[in-house]
Amino acid sequence: MRVAVIKFPGTTCEIDVYKALREANVESEVVRYKEFDGDKYNAVVIPGGFSFGDYLRAGSIAANTDTMRQIKEMADSGKVVVGICNGFQILVESGILEGALLPNLNMRFLSKWVYVRVNRFDTVLTKGLNKNVLRLPIAHAEGRYYHDKPELAKRLAVLLYSDERGNVDERYNPNGSVLNIAGIANEEGNVIGMMPHPERASFKLTSQDGSIDGLSLLRGLKRVEA
Amino acid sequence: MELVRKTLNRELSEEEWLTIDALWSEHCSYKSSKFFLTSFPSSGKNVVMGIEDWQDAGALDVGDGYAIILKVESHNHPSAVDPFNGSATGVGGVIRDIISKGARPIALLDMIRVGNLDNKRNKWLLKNIIAGIGFYGNSIGVPVVGGELSFDDTYTDNPLVDVAGVGVVKKDKIVPSVIKQPGLKIVIVGLTGLDGLGGASFASRKLSGEDEIGAVQIADPFAGKVVLDATLEVSDKVEAIKDLGGGGLVVAVTEMANGFGAIVNLDDVPLRVKDLSPAEILISETQERMLFAVKPERVKEVCEAFEYYEYPCAVIGEFTGDKRIRFLYRGKEVVDLPSDLLLRPPRYRWDVRRSKREVLNERPEVDVERAIRKVVSSPDLVDKFWAYSQFDYEVGTSTVLKPGEADSALISLPNGKLLAIKGDANPDLCVEDPYECGKYIVAEAYRNLATVGAKGIGLVDHLQFGDPRKPEVYYQFVESIRGIAEASQFFGTPVVGGKVSFYNENKEGKPIKPTPLVVMAGIVEGKFLRPRIFEGLSIVVVGLTRNEIRGSLFTKLFGNYGEVPKTRLNEELMASELIIRAINEGKTTFVKDISKGGLVGALLPIIAKGFGVSIRTRAIPSDDEDILAKLFSESGARFVLLAEEESVKWLEENAKGIYVSKIGRVTKEQKVLELDNEKRIDLSKEIDNYYYNYLEEVMSNY
Repeated sequence: MRVAVIKFPGTTCEIDVYKALREANVESEVVRYKEFDGDKYNAVVIPGGFSFGDYLRAGSIAANTDTMRQIKEMADSGKVVVGICNGFQILVESGILEGALLPNLNMRFLSKWVYVRVNRFDTVLTKGLNKNVLRLPIAHAEGRYYHDKPELAKRLAVLLYSDERGNVDERYNPNGSVLNIAGIANEEGNVIGMMPHPERASFKLTSQDGSIDGLSLLRGLKRVEA
Repeated sequence: MELVRKTLNRELSEEEWLTIDALWSEHCSYKSSKFFLTSFPSSGKNVVMGIEDWQDAGALDVGDGYAIILKVESHNHPSAVDPFNGSATGVGGVIRDIISKGARPIALLDMIRVGNLDNKRNKWLLKNIIAGIGFYGNSIGVPVVGGELSFDDTYTDNPLVDVAGVGVVKKDKIVPSVIKQPGLKIVIVGLTGLDGLGGASFASRKLSGEDEIGAVQIADPFAGKVVLDATLEVSDKVEAIKDLGGGGLVVAVTEMANGFGAIVNLDDVPLRVKDLSPAEILISETQERMLFAVKPERVKEVCEAFEYYEYPCAVIGEFTGDKRIRFLYRGKEVVDLPSDLLLRPPRYRWDVRRSKREVLNERPEVDVERAIRKVVSSPDLVDKFWAYSQFDYEVGTSTVLKPGEADSALISLPNGKLLAIKGDANPDLCVEDPYECGKYIVAEAYRNLATVGAKGIGLVDHLQFGDPRKPEVYYQFVESIRGIAEASQFFGTPVVGGKVSFYNENKEGKPIKPTPLVVMAGIVEGKFLRPRIFEGLSIVVVGLTRNEIRGSLFTKLFGNYGEVPKTRLNEELMASELIIRAINEGKTTFVKDISKGGLVGALLPIIAKGFGVSIRTRAIPSDDEDILAKLFSESGARFVLLAEEESVKWLEENAKGIYVSKIGRVTKEQKVLELDNEKRIDLSKEIDNYYYNYLEEVMSNY
């Protein structure tokens, strides 16, 4: 077993991620946060949800658990760390990824299918991807990415909100993120966080118009495994 | 009160009066409704757990050893006072009723009715109701997959917030809510606090307009999620599960005891604040608490599951065989009452009186174009993206049809089957004729399921009315039940559960329009339909339009006249069956039932998607030449279909006594409705400024 899908109290997407990884032929298991042992895995996915109720600030309580200290060590040692939605929020709250995720500009939770342009092909999930515009759903209240050094953010950005042809414009920015950023990675590309939910775009039956671009992203973990 | 004193032959303690008050409240005892509720058809081949079990939620067989749990409940009174917490705790209550059966909640629906949005307070109510549902549903990871949002001044002081939930469980793993033998330990999880004091009694009277905030519960969805996860972990280790809902601990213990006895030590109940009085502990409705009946040797492992999450779990007493409900506090017995007395409140059958309604039979002289523009601009028909986009409607990755995509929600089940689910009500019709309305809403739900290819298998209902002691109100209640029961019997969709909510009135004591509501579940046996629209497709009307326009959206806007639509049950069934067959044979790409707004209302989603529609009114099969009836009548058993030319013939040949007529085609003239090749009505303004923008705009500035 190589990929751990972390369940914090309040995580809601662990089964969805597990199912999508199975669809992508990636072996994984759901691990409750207290039982997590980083040495046993070479990749970890932190799924979406409302860890510890997102009380205080989204992701902030989970960021201060021993589980996240172990995940930071994994990240530093070059192992793969993926954060989706609340998982992304936890990664920035714990300082493993740069920047911050603020409340959406209109201060509302927003569920919507969006297009994102792939800005980097050197990360664990985007390496070898054969498309540069993906269709994925977002569902969050705190997804406005912020970074005080826009130049750096531009370099780290992996996914940018765009139209279906890949044009990045403020019109396609659903939450007010700086530079339309939907997901970023560290310089090395082994740690990646994103607001869209790839696991929800992994099954033909339940994806908008049957598109399964999320599965293409998750298959990146297969490439790591090999 | 005299009755109780006489039965017991003694004076009662304060705690005992509160116990009686909670258990005999309308909310918990159904004292004014039970007699008529027993007339619902409640058995059938798919019924696993029906209404006569009185377990609040019903269960239906969906094959391969699985059952779905169906539940509907309102939180009208709390939402009128504190819409955010009121609606959020409404979701929590439905979820806990589902997990009480050992089932995993997989979907929610919300049916919201508020006053018109030109009123500031209504906007405030709506904004917080939607936010509250999202806050709770999103946090616990259960998708809101569908619902209704409509407006009427009758709901200005008394909004209706109905939440339905679906759970899934292995049939042989359904956990009962009541015990079958004494000797079990009583285990409570969660902290008891001061909120929601006397909520069941509060819900069983009209709103006083005074400060009633103390009777509203506070939502804590994180605790709700912990309770959800841990309860499902222990559900096969306990003998009975019950949510601590209306009436609090005293009601949960008494109902779970099921006629047996119970002894509870109130000192052992984990408290959120110190020094609650025994009375407060008894009737507090603090959320996120559950009650379990557990074999003594299994208590430890049950509590360990909760302690993993640092969630309080305590043994507070045990079920006994002495048929007495006893609560101790600091060594003293504060309640000692016979089980029988508590579970058998006096029943009421109030007087009925048919209300005399103004009969206006004057057909208004209305310009057709003006009527069309006005109907398509009705807030009831606008796009509801503003609302459903605040819900995490895809968590669980089982939402096959998304909110707004079709007439019914559609979700996939663990056994691979597809479950359609839809809630329907029609207060404008119910106020005219509650009996016809009862039949109509069941038929409409059945039609809505058919539009995605599903056949209804059962339903739950929620009956919302004013003060039952008013004969006109009670008449509406009784008549709606007659209608719902008759149609359910006919369609083979038994009523497996439900709820009654009385005392819904405005500040002047005027009752709401009667709002019975049904939530029907159905299964797709073959193919399902995801609606698709292409230019050039033929527009087909299935069913005969009748000039029965009373109680329609059109008459609401232009003045009431004419006859009430009658529901012809066999015609409904034949029309729905034709639709399901057409979907399975691949003979249609889009189906919509004709209801609110009549034919024009049904064509609106096609136009809103940026297509044009050209129809010949003479081709609409109708019992009257009146153009207003053809365009706006809401008579039942009708659908609009889009189909290829060659499929129209198939539809005609396979319709058993049902009218089928090609009335026009989809054109490329964007957002234009063309009538009889002469009248060209450009609806761009209505669509762009209104259909897609109304809610966003009206809700963003206040």
